[in-house]
Amino acid sequence: MSADTVRFSEERLAEIAELVKRYPGPQSALMPVLYMAQEDFGYISMDAQKMIAEVLGLRLMQVREVVTFYTMFKEQPTGKYLLEVCTNAGCMLNGAYELADHMCGTLGIRMGETTPDGLFTIAEVECAGACGGAPVVQVNNIYHEKATPASMDALITQVRADGGVE
Amino acid sequence: MTQLFINDQEVDVTPGTSILEACRQNDVDVPYFCYHPELSVAANCRMCLVEVEGWGKPAASCCTPVSEGMKVKTQSETLAKDREMMMEYLLIHHPLDCPVCDQGGSCKLQDYTVEHGASKGRYSEPKRAVINYELGPFVNTCMTRCIHCTRCVRFADEVAGTGDIGVLNRSDHMTIAGIVEGALSSELSGNLPDICPVGALLDKPSHDVSRPWEMTSHSSTCIQCPNGCDISIESRGDQVMRIVPVDGSPEPWICDRGRYVYDAFRSDNRILSPMVRQDGALQSVDWSDAFDRTIDLLKDKKVGILFSSQWSVEGHVAISLMRDALFPDAKVAFDLHRRDMRPFAFEEGLAMTTSQIEAADQVVILGSDLRQRLPLLMQRLRKRGRAGKPVSRIGAMNYRTNMEIGRDALIRPRDWHGVIARAMEQVSELGKTAAGFDAWLGAVSDRHEAGKILADALISDSCALLVGEEIRSHEDAASLIHGVDLLMRACGHAEAGNDGRNLIPEGVNAQVLSAVFADARVSAGDIFAAASAGELDALILIGSDPVGDGLFPSAAKAALQKVPLVQIGSISGEMADYADVQLPAAAYSEIEGTFVNMEGRVRVATNPIKSLGQERPLWKVMMRLIQVMGAEVPVVSLDELRSAVCQHLSALSDAWCVSNQDSALIAPNRNRDAAALPKARTDSFELDVVSRYSMYREGMWARASALLTEAGELNALDDVLVHPDTLAAKGLSAGELVVKSFLGEQCFNIGVREDVTPGVLFIAKRGVAGDLSDVTAASIDGGAV
Repeated sequence: MSADTVRFSEERLAEIAELVKRYPGPQSALMPVLYMAQEDFGYISMDAQKMIAEVLGLRLMQVREVVTFYTMFKEQPTGKYLLEVCTNAGCMLNGAYELADHMCGTLGIRMGETTPDGLFTIAEVECAGACGGAPVVQVNNIYHEKATPASMDALITQVRADGGVE
Repeated sequence: MTQLFINDQEVDVTPGTSILEACRQNDVDVPYFCYHPELSVAANCRMCLVEVEGWGKPAASCCTPVSEGMKVKTQSETLAKDREMMMEYLLIHHPLDCPVCDQGGSCKLQDYTVEHGASKGRYSEPKRAVINYELGPFVNTCMTRCIHCTRCVRFADEVAGTGDIGVLNRSDHMTIAGIVEGALSSELSGNLPDICPVGALLDKPSHDVSRPWEMTSHSSTCIQCPNGCDISIESRGDQVMRIVPVDGSPEPWICDRGRYVYDAFRSDNRILSPMVRQDGALQSVDWSDAFDRTIDLLKDKKVGILFSSQWSVEGHVAISLMRDALFPDAKVAFDLHRRDMRPFAFEEGLAMTTSQIEAADQVVILGSDLRQRLPLLMQRLRKRGRAGKPVSRIGAMNYRTNMEIGRDALIRPRDWHGVIARAMEQVSELGKTAAGFDAWLGAVSDRHEAGKILADALISDSCALLVGEEIRSHEDAASLIHGVDLLMRACGHAEAGNDGRNLIPEGVNAQVLSAVFADARVSAGDIFAAASAGELDALILIGSDPVGDGLFPSAAKAALQKVPLVQIGSISGEMADYADVQLPAAAYSEIEGTFVNMEGRVRVATNPIKSLGQERPLWKVMMRLIQVMGAEVPVVSLDELRSAVCQHLSALSDAWCVSNQDSALIAPNRNRDAAALPKARTDSFELDVVSRYSMYREGMWARASALLTEAGELNALDDVLVHPDTLAAKGLSAGELVVKSFLGEQCFNIGVREDVTPGVLFIAKRGVAGDLSDVTAASIDGGAV
């Protein structure tokens, strides 16, 4: 995607204009606008960040700081299914690292990578806020609590069998 | 005032002061990393913890305001333990490479580790390493050493105004990173290594060169722009190693031009011994041989004297004494940037201090590229902008400022009359008028809407006009300045105490020069014309380069080809091609001398480093010249010379008593009777020519500096620029085009940029398109010559 092609649609721009009015300043609207960009473009490329900075009248660095701070914002394209393994304290104590290693083995990729068929991306994230169900794996926006190597293998097998159809 | 107790001692501070500032004001030591008096408070290093009686936990003193009766303790066993833990935490990822780090010896982290840290950390796991990034020619990064105090981030946001440094990622992945790969887009970038409390951002040019404790420093004045910042020149032996700002001076920063010009002090371009042209080449000779040749060239001859304003006041007075003794009829010129020599209603110099300008209700920039010319004043305006105070601008180019300009108008130099006339009409409607309005208005038929911006600003209680080079170098400058003067009088901004008439000078010492050389002064162009016409036998150039700088390069070239040249100065430069004799004069690092900046602030440099070669202070060279030419030597010591200075400027008599250095400001000249009326233009060229001042290229010193030259290349624009409409109107496109002016037809590479006013030919690179600087008007025709 080049700078010319990364453009919000007219509807989106209208929505953003409406959103900005709710806040004391345009900078406050940055987070929801970043979510919109991720929804529209799949990930937030550098070009998208430049475009957002322009739309909101911010400095590129102000956008970059927020994008890189939160793990939910992706700067690289991800697979169709994003497997985010929480490795924060609670999950770690309940075997998150062993789980993550096992999943990497099943998928045949390393942490942070995407499978060649473009189906799965596996990522390590900080606390998902569901420590009661540790270890937690977030698959796209759905939480899988008390995940085990077996349950994750089953999930991966099923998705592969379905050919990625939801 | 708020009363509180610091370590049981009662102190009074202004309400709202932070505890840390209260401690600093009362000489109580509190350690800190992220706090900086000139930047906003971030409170992220937690090093400045203090105890407040009755509070459950220690308070970060930088962000805790004082309150009445507060009892603060800066030393206790608990605090010692807290600080030890903070140090241990900050040092977790910090490499133990002090022996190879340039910061070693002037490092806060090192000092505080000794003072507050434990001798050993408990962390034995792997340390992280961080990728370095490119921050341009002046800043070296070693980001593994960074402790994330974010001073650099705040500096880029708040002072430089570029906002191109930020904090990426979080927790132990957190890094400080720049967004502009290749070059930090700030003229103040050299301050980053100064504010970094550790060795993460370091000075690139002096990287791995010397150690802080090997250097001695002496304070001096920077002569690279009229702001005349206080500088500390750090040297090792007789070599200048660095130039840094002085703590406690009016500006805490210095610009890259003033800082990195230091490599010119030891460049091959210095004149370090007397030189005489023999068999077509300059040869090093001893002083007596050089003087013999000088006598041949100058004795009983008619000469023109041209000098730079960068010498000390003593040097300038010595030039004046030399003229009186040897060439009493000779005309002198010191300004290569003035076409109109009629007296100005307000002469060069500021009526206000920079802090008064920052605080004024309205500031209007009239035709000046302030960011390049006066980076420190621009920084003040940025500060003002952040505080919500307006800055407006009228000029020929949308010069980059790194701040938001409230109201901005692009005009051609020929529109200035119309702008002033329009403003006069508008203030007259409000009943504000001055004697002379009618005569001035009557001589101008045009009106330009940009005048509204000026008139609206003038109505405020205090208005600072910053009149720049586009007006000062105008062919009809005296009438424009008279017009502006009338406007300021009409609106009550011309009385003492409320004077907002600031004419930005070309260099330092402007007020002194207009007093010392009031009668003998002519335009540099006149001297070159006289030399070319055979009216002069020789030229004496004292530290100026009229081919590389100024508005008369082709006239200067013609004159220099015609008559012999005696060059006296510190830098040889392009004048080496013309000089028959070169006499070395000491650089500003090597002299005791007095300097007056644009505000009229007087500074005296003392304890200089010793001469690198055979160069002598300019005043001694002048006196020796008088002696060998057979006249009576007027002064034989610096004290006698200073008495002579006082005859011209009684205000300086206090300057040399140490106790009295900060006394009176020297006010710029006012000529109440200078009532020049606008002249009609006579040429028929459709484009106005404006040339750009580049802080990296202007002046002999900057061109002799390899560091500034390198930075100048990064910041270079096309040779000559015009607005796209200017070319479109003629059906031309950018590229090699013919420019017609009174110099004839010349071919230039012409680029387009929306920032240029339509109808203006903007010379972005004086060196390349130098000859065009001579003209004020031109036209473009298609095709090659």
